[in-house]
Parts: sequence; C-alpha cells; structure tokens
Amino acid sequence: MLSIPMEALDRGLFKGYEPGDFYDEMFASPGVPRLHYAQMFQKLAGMEPAQFEERRKLADLAFLLQGITFTVYSDGRGTERLFPFDLIPRILPQSEWRHIERGLAQRVVALNLFLQDVYGKQRIFKDRQISRSLIYSCPHFRREMIGLEVPRGIHTHICGIDLVRDSKTGEFYVLEDNVRTPSGISYVLENRLVMTRTFPDAFQDYEVLPVDHYPAELSRILHSLSPHGEDDAQIVLLTPGIFNSAYFEHSFLAQQMGIELVEGRDLVVDGDVVFTKTIHGLKRVDVIYRRVDDEFLDGLNFRTDSLLGVPGLMGAYRAGNVALANAVGNGVADDKAIYAYVPAFIRYYLGEEPVLRSVDTYLCTRPDDYAYVLEHLGELVVKAVGESGGYGMLMGPTASQAKIEEFRRAIVANPRNYVAQPVIPLSRVPSYNPATGGMAGRHVDLRPYCLYDGQKVTIVPGGLTRVALQPNSLVVNSSQGGGSKDTWVLRGEGLRGEEAN
Amino acid sequence: MLSRIADSLFWLGRYIERAEYTARILDVNYHMLLEQSQQPYRLHWEPLIAMAGEQERFRQFYEEANAQTSFEFLAFRAENPSSIVECIAKARENARTIRDRISREMWEDINGLYHTVTRFDAAEEIATGPHRICETVKFGSHRFHGVTDATLPHDEGWEFLRVGWALERQEMTARLVDVQYHNLLDGPAHLGPPDKHQWMAVLKSVGAYEAYHRQYHATIEPERVAEMLILHPQHPRSIRFSTNEVHSGLRAISGSHTGSYANEADRLAGKALERLRYEKIDEIFKQGLHAYLDGVQQMSAAIGEAIARTYFYYRVAA
Repeated sequence: MLSIPMEALDRGLFKGYEPGDFYDEMFASPGVPRLHYAQMFQKLAGMEPAQFEERRKLADLAFLLQGITFTVYSDGRGTERLFPFDLIPRILPQSEWRHIERGLAQRVVALNLFLQDVYGKQRIFKDRQISRSLIYSCPHFRREMIGLEVPRGIHTHICGIDLVRDSKTGEFYVLEDNVRTPSGISYVLENRLVMTRTFPDAFQDYEVLPVDHYPAELSRILHSLSPHGEDDAQIVLLTPGIFNSAYFEHSFLAQQMGIELVEGRDLVVDGDVVFTKTIHGLKRVDVIYRRVDDEFLDGLNFRTDSLLGVPGLMGAYRAGNVALANAVGNGVADDKAIYAYVPAFIRYYLGEEPVLRSVDTYLCTRPDDYAYVLEHLGELVVKAVGESGGYGMLMGPTASQAKIEEFRRAIVANPRNYVAQPVIPLSRVPSYNPATGGMAGRHVDLRPYCLYDGQKVTIVPGGLTRVALQPNSLVVNSSQGGGSKDTWVLRGEGLRGEEAN
Repeated sequence: MLSRIADSLFWLGRYIERAEYTARILDVNYHMLLEQSQQPYRLHWEPLIAMAGEQERFRQFYEEANAQTSFEFLAFRAENPSSIVECIAKARENARTIRDRISREMWEDINGLYHTVTRFDAAEEIATGPHRICETVKFGSHRFHGVTDATLPHDEGWEFLRVGWALERQEMTARLVDVQYHNLLDGPAHLGPPDKHQWMAVLKSVGAYEAYHRQYHATIEPERVAEMLILHPQHPRSIRFSTNEVHSGLRAISGSHTGSYANEADRLAGKALERLRYEKIDEIFKQGLHAYLDGVQQMSAAIGEAIARTYFYYRVAA
C-alpha cells in the first residue's frame, strides 16, 4: 500500500474526508487510496482549494455557454437547467472493466435472443422457463410485434444497462436494463470534452481510453439496417420535439452522425413507405433511430391521441420498408419483474453462467414474496414494473409513513405491477462540495452504453457515472438533483510508472 | 431540406426583422414626440400602434396611447405577439428547434440576445425611455445578420432566412409609409401642414435620413420620402429592394431562371418586382398612395401564403 503523508488529510481538499461505512471508489481505507487512484489523489491533495474552485467554475461556464441543458417541467413551461458536473473522475482499471464488458455483452445478446423468441417461436414458454401470462401482462408487451421479423434479427441495438457497486461485497450488480430508448450518452461525450479542456493535467499520469467513437459506431449500425443497401441510406433521428427532456441529446447525436433530426410531423407514410417532407417534395426514409416511446410511435396502432408519431409507421415497419432502432416492444425485456428472470435467460439461451450478478428481487405475484414485501415495506425499495427514470419508486427506509401506506394499497390492488428489492448501499466517490469547499463521499451508479450489430456488442469504455450530489441520497436521477462525472477506463491498471513502460 | 426546418428558418428571419423594425420605429418616434407634447397625444401615438396592426389588442389593456403605454405595449407586453420581447423569444424558439442545422455561433448569438432582452426590467426601462432596449435589439439584429452571413453556408437554408426577413421588411415599410402618410397628410386640416420633423423621423426610423440627403440634395418633401422608401433600387429598406431580395431568394431555392417561374411564390414575387421596377412615384400618387400601399401589403401576404403552400404545408397523398 502506498503511504500518504498524513498532512494531506489535515489540510486542502481532503481535509476531514470520511469514507464512512461505504465502499469508497478512491480509498481502500481512511487515508489509503486504492492503487489506481493514488496518483489522482496526490494531484488533488496537492491542489489549493481556490485553484480547484477556479477549474470548477470554468467547467460550469463551458456547459452553460454550449447550452448543455435538460428540461424540467415544474413550472408548466419547461425550464432549462444545467446538469451538474463533478470534476473528480470515476476511474475503473482495465481488469475490472473487462469483467463488466464481458457481463454486459452476455446480457445484451441474451436479451436480444429473448425478444426474438417472445415475438417469434416462443420456445421459452414451451420449455416452461417463464409463464406466458407473466409476459403478456407486461405493460410494454406489444402484440403487434408477434411474427414480425426485424432487420438482421436485432431488437436491442442500443442498451443502457445500469450498474451499481454494492458496498457490502464490493461487486458490481445489474440494477436495471434499459433497452427501449436509453438516454445520457451525449453527457458521456461532453463530460470528457469539458474535462480535457478544464482539467488537462489530470490526464497526465493516466492512459484513459477514448469515448468519442460512439456516434460513428452507432451510425455504422444504423446504416447496416437499411432495407435498400447502405449506400445512400436515408437515416433520420425521430425526436418527440423541443419539449422533451433529452432534446439536447437528440440534436447532438443527429449533428454528430450527420443525419436529419425529424419530428413526427416531418414524416408521412404512403403505400407502406415512410417519407420526409422536404421543400422539394417527399424523400424516402430507410432507417429511423427513434427516441419516441412505442405508445406514441403510430397513432393508428397505439395511442390515437399521439401527435408525436407517424400514422401508418407500423405498417411500413411490418412491410420491411423501414427499420427502427430500437425495435418496438422491447419494454417487455426491461420490465422490472422480467428482470428477475434475466439470469435464467442467460442460462437458457446461451448455456452460460451470468458474469454479472443481479439484485435479489421479490415478485409480488409470488405469494411468499408478496407477504414478505408487505411486512418489510420500510426496509425495501419498491418499483413499479413499467416505469423508468426514478418514477413510481418507493425508497422504504427514507419514505414517510403515508407514502408507505400509499404503496401498500397500490401493491394489494395490483401485485403484478410491483417488485421489491433490498436497498443497495451504493459505493461512493469523493465529490466536490461547493458549500464547504472540500470533498465529500457521494453515491454513484454507472450506465454503460452497449451497441449491438447482430454479431458483436460494442461498448464505449466507461459510460455515464451519475452521482447523487445531495448528502446521503441514493437517488442519482437528474430530475432528483443528481449530477454526473467523467468515467475513465484505463488502458492498464493505473499503477504508478505503469503507463511509462 | 426538411419543410419544417425551412419553415423555422423563414420565421426566424421574419421575427428578427419585426423586432428590429419595431425597435427602430419606437426609438425614433418616442424621442421626436416627446419634443412635441403640445399636440394631443392620441394623434401621435396611435399610428405607432396601427403600424404594428394591433390597435384592437392595445385597447384591451390601455385607455389611451401615450409615451408610457405605447412603449410598454410595443416593447414588453407578453400579450402583444408583435412586441419586441415576444418577437425575440419566438426567433430564439425557432432557432432552438433547428439548433443542429444552424451554426453554433448563430445559436449562441440569438440565445444571448434573448437573455439580454428578457432581463430588462420593464418598469425601470419605461421610466428611463426606450433607447437602451431599442439599441440593443437593433444591433442584436445586425450582429445576427453578420454572424449568419459569416458562418452559415449560403445554401437553401440561408435563402429561406433571407426571404423571411426581406418579406417582413417589405410589409413593414409599406405599413410605415401608409400609416405616416395617412396621419401626416390626410389628417385634420386644422393641424396645419405637417412638420418636416415628422418626415425626418420617418426617414431616421429606417436609417435613410443621410441617404435621402445624398440622393435629393433638397429639403424634406413628402413625395420624395415616399419615392425613396418605395422605389429606391439600392436602399436596403425600400420596398423595391426588399422585393428584389425576396425574389432572388425564391429563385435560388426553386432554381428557376430569369423571366420564368417554377411555382406561385416565384410568380407573385416576380410580378411584384416587375411592377416596382417600372413604377413612377407620381403615378402612384395619381392612383392614390393608400390604395397602392394596401396592394403591396396584400401582395406580401399572398407571397407568404404561396411560400407556405409550396414549401412548408403542401398536401401529400397519405
């Protein structure tokens, strides 16, 4: 272990820093940094707080000037806010990343096989691995997809799988699979850009793997889906529009990939072919990277009150004239009750043991689980199965009695709609606290972005580290005051002197 | 280019121009009218409201048009869709929906202008006068034009922006001359001959005062002012010049050749331009200035509609 002069903890940014009872990503024990964080720690400990504060302001300004914002709807008009950025990077050594990468790739392939099967031959029901009724009762199951052969057999082109490190075991667990329209990748790219500009010397002692090839990789996959050949393929990104909280990301990705950003009203379907309305007439569309949810995609097939989508789109999709990424109906794979079965899918479809562990999950449809959950509501996290983004969630230990009773009634009324999990004490990373001018431990998760081309899974090293900037909070969602960090995957193990060799 | 994007660029151009024009008229008239407070207010201030075409809405909020109420209404009032702040807000909103298609400098510029004008404190500005906000908007608009020309490829998108601001300018100049003439010449006889200061104000509000003197070397005469603002081939705010911009922008978009047209928008703009080219000011006066300018405004509206039908909202079989 590296010995650190004790005065580093008496003054400067780390004065009074306490790793606490949690797994600290930087410290193995109080005052003793992990090997891959040692050089980072020394750099930070040697910095004057005023110096650091200056960097931080510079970074904030960079985000403000570029208008990198998300929209919150508390005032009815939609206000743009900055997504808080914390300058202390989250560092993963190569060995740890390789393990994560293997686990994610395995999971993405299994989820894709599961979706092919559920909407295709349905072997999994016949082999009694899961009941048909559980699948058909998923709020996001799409009957319209049955028998529809998607281009190249890919359903899960883009997945954002949420990982957390459990402080008790120090291991990574999969918390959620987001296989519908996961967002956040633009922050991964912008965070890195701002980090290299405002804190260039932080990179000096490390060899950090680049992330900026994501748009090119995504573009390659989208091109490969075109039913009319890759040359001249017309690819568009379908956004719900300017009032969507991820609009910045939509416009960012469209620009980075050089494809047209369209809204539902820009598209029209004629004779099962999708067109864009241009100033010189209609132009055929081959591939749609859609960031509009299933239920809003096509007013003829799903919600008839939707103005976001394109009437007739499902017909064109079914006719094979247009490809959609991600496929329709993926919500059945990231349903929070189905989540409990993913390890079984991996064994069933791949004949492998899961590389990454899942969190124990109580399904309220199982009598034993149901009784246990109702008895222990105050200790558990309860989640509505079809929701995402931190909505429809009960955090038992911190919830009011009234809130707990509200969930109890909801669970009794509709057990299929709820699952419960033990509260995972998330690991922490030192993060700057502007109120004190020093470092404090803050809980983090990690969302890597996985791209699947039907042959192999490509994962941009790292992903989005979200951080709960409120003291003691375990909720990292941006709508709940969460921020983010640059995530570094190292080419090696980050040991002193290693990169020079 | 997507129809929606062309539509947004067109309106981005229009709103910026409308904000600038309103700022110009407000600024010049406000200061001139303050010097002439011996005459009944209504005679001076109401034409400004009329120029914005918002008399009815104005009456919903105010009893009389005076320096304070006119300024507040034309610059700040959120219920007035043509107020300066509302126009800038809508210009920025249009820019925001097409952020991926305009240059980053353009976005940052219009975004900055929006934040500047929305931070003005209306009460404080009304107490000190409109010069500050009007200057801000005028130069904001000029800077935006400059940034656009220097950073946006001069392709179809740029042409739609140009057609937008030029069409707005054509219509605003027609309204300005129409309202001022009506007010100053056809007004009640007991007021006596109109003050030449008021004609100077008209010229100043479109930035044509110095150019007028270079052109005519003479005292200010209403017919000459009208000639300059309607028929001058080079002054950037004349109706003829604006119409020429609209026409050449539309031809660049449709690719039609001189003397021919590809669609109704082309045809109407070409026809309007030909008439302006061969018009003489005394002929216009002979047929009646008001009727003539009314015709120009109707033509503007018709071109705007034809553009929308040709490029933005054409019907598709589906």
